Amino acid sequence: METKKKILIADDDPDILAQTKLLLEERGFDVIPAESAASALKLFEANDIYAAALDLIMEEMDSGFTLSYKIKKTEKGKKIPVVILTSATYLTGFKFDATTKEEKSWLKCDAILNKPVDVEDLLMKIEEYYSGTL
Amino acid sequence: MVSYSKAKILVIDDEDALRGAVKRILEREGFSVVTAENGARGISLGTTDEFDLALIDLKMPDYSGLDVLREIRKHKPNTVCFIATAYASYETAVEATKMGADGYILKPFTPEELLNHLNSGFKKRVLILEAEALKNEREARLLEIAFERTRLNTVIKSLADGVLVVNTDGEVVYYNNAALKYLNLQDIVIGRPILEELPREIQDLIFANFTSEITEKKSFSVEVEIKPKHELVVEATLSPVLRQSGKLSGVVIVIKNISEFKKVEHLKSQFVSMVAHELKAPVAATLGFINIILNKEMNLSREQEVDFLSRSRVRLGSLLNMVNDLLDISRIEMKTVMREIKKLDMNQIISDTLGMFTADIKKKDLTVIFEPKENMPEVRADHGEISRLVTNLVSNAIKYNKQSGRVEITCCQQKNYAVLEISDTGIGLRKEEQEKLWGEFYRAKNEFTKDITGTGLGMPIVKRIVDAYSGKIEVESKYTEGTRFKVYLPYNLTDDELNN
Repeated sequence: METKKKILIADDDPDILAQTKLLLEERGFDVIPAESAASALKLFEANDIYAAALDLIMEEMDSGFTLSYKIKKTEKGKKIPVVILTSATYLTGFKFDATTKEEKSWLKCDAILNKPVDVEDLLMKIEEYYSGTL
Repeated sequence: MVSYSKAKILVIDDEDALRGAVKRILEREGFSVVTAENGARGISLGTTDEFDLALIDLKMPDYSGLDVLREIRKHKPNTVCFIATAYASYETAVEATKMGADGYILKPFTPEELLNHLNSGFKKRVLILEAEALKNEREARLLEIAFERTRLNTVIKSLADGVLVVNTDGEVVYYNNAALKYLNLQDIVIGRPILEELPREIQDLIFANFTSEITEKKSFSVEVEIKPKHELVVEATLSPVLRQSGKLSGVVIVIKNISEFKKVEHLKSQFVSMVAHELKAPVAATLGFINIILNKEMNLSREQEVDFLSRSRVRLGSLLNMVNDLLDISRIEMKTVMREIKKLDMNQIISDTLGMFTADIKKKDLTVIFEPKENMPEVRADHGEISRLVTNLVSNAIKYNKQSGRVEITCCQQKNYAVLEISDTGIGLRKEEQEKLWGEFYRAKNEFTKDITGTGLGMPIVKRIVDAYSGKIEVESKYTEGTRFKVYLPYNLTDDELNN
C-alpha cells in the first residue's frame, strides 16, 4: 500500500484544525495536527513531512513566522513547502505577502494564504512548489 | 491745538519805574506778569517757574542780561526770551541770539513796540509747545509699538505650538523655541536657508506653495513623524503670507505636537483589529463546519454532523458572549449610560451572584465558603457594574477550579475600603500569565484551559470597573494551586468622582 503524504497543520483553534484535517484526509493526505508551535516543531522533526501549513498567530503574534523560520533552517525543511495562514493584515495594518524573491528571503516561508483557508488553494500552493512554479 | 488765553510773562529789570510801567501795560493787555528787580531774582524765578515769555534787561548791577538768559534757556528751553537794552550794539545782539534770545527790544520802547514783540513771541511760544506735544505723543506711540512688539514676541515665544516663518528664498524670517523642539533641530538662524533641514514632507508642501499660483489664503497640513514609534509626531500647517499686492512673500508654518494623539489613535486601531480578529475566529470555525456538513463529498456520519453542529453552537455562544463583553467595555469606557449610584449591600450582591452559579458549583462538586460579615458599611456604586465585577471573578473561580475544589469569598472593611477577596483552588497562573491577565483577549493557554471557554474580556472588564471607582485589584497566584483576587473599593467617593 502506498504511504499517504503527510501534511503538518499547526493551528491553535482546535475546530479549524479538525476541519482542515478532515478536508485534507478526504483528498487523500495524512494530516499531522499540532495545536501549538512547540508541538508542531516536534512533530515536524519526528515525521516525514510533505508540506506544512502554519497559522501565524498562536501563542505569540508571530508564532507562525518563528516556526516557519525554524523549519526552513533545517535540511528537511528546505525541501518542503511551508505555507503561513493568516488573518493578520487586520492586526498589523500591514499587508504582507511572499510573492517576490525579497519577501521570501526574509519571510522564510513559501507562501502566505489568508484565512479562512480554502483547502484547494493550499493544495495548489503545495503543487506549485513541487512543480517549481511558485 | 494748544491755546493760551493768558500768556505768563517774567519781566526782569532793575529800573523800578520801567518795571512798574511794563507790568501795567501788559496786565491791561491780558498778560499775567511776574517781575524781578535784579538778575539773581530773575534767574531764580525763570528757572523754577514755567513762563511763556521773559523780558530781560541787558544791563543790571548784579548779572548781565546774557547770563540770566543763558540760565533760563538752560532750564526752560521753551520760554521765549527777549533782551531789552538802551545800549544796543551789533555784538551783543549777535551774542544774545546765539544764546537763544528770540528777540531784541530797544529802549526806550513804546507800548505798541513792546506788545508787537511780545505777541509775535507768544505765537512762537504756542508753536513750540505744539511741536513739543506732538513730539511727546510720537515718542509715546513709538514706545507703545516697541512694547507691542515685545509682547507679541513673548506671546509667540511662549506658544506651545512651534512657529516658523520662511520667505520665498527659503530663509528663516522668524521662529520660536517650540519649532526648534518639534522639528528636532539643534539650531535655527534667522536669515539662513532652512529648507534642506526640514523634513521631506514639509519641504514638499513649501515647494508646492512657492510654485503654485496662490490667489487665496488657504492652509495645508501634513503629518510628520519626527522621531519613530510615535515618540514625536507633529502636524505642520502651512499658510501662505501674501503681500498687499497679492504676491507671495513666504509661508508661516505652525507645528503642533500630536504624539499623544497618535499614540491613542494607534492603541485604538490596535484594539479594533484585535476585536476583528477575535470575532473572526468563531465565525470562521462555524462557517467551516457548515461548509463541511453541506459538502456531499464528505459523506459525514450522523454522529459527525451532530458533533460539528454542537461545536458550532459552542463557538456561536462564545461569539455572543464576546459581543456582550465588548458592549460592556464600550459602555464603561464611553460612560454613555450614567451610573445609577446607590448604596449597595456587598453581602447581598455576593449571595445573589453565588445563586446564579448553583448549577455550575454542583456540577464541579465545589465547596463554596462565604460568611457574610455583620455591619458592613454600604458601598456607593452602580449595582450593575459591581454585580458584573463579582460575577466575573466568581465565574473564573468556578470555571478554572479543579473538580471538588474550594472557593472562598470574604468581604470586609479595611479603613476606607471595602475589600472583596475571592480565592480558588484552581489551575493558577504562571508569573507571565499574571502580567498579561488584564490585557484584552488574553487567555492563559495550557493543558488545563483547553476546554474552558471564555472571551478573554472578563478580567479587562473587572479592571475597568475597579478603575472607574478609583479602586485597586491585586492578584496572588501559584500555578496549579490556585488564585486569590483582592478588590479594594473606596467608600468615600464624592458624586463627582463617581460620575467621572
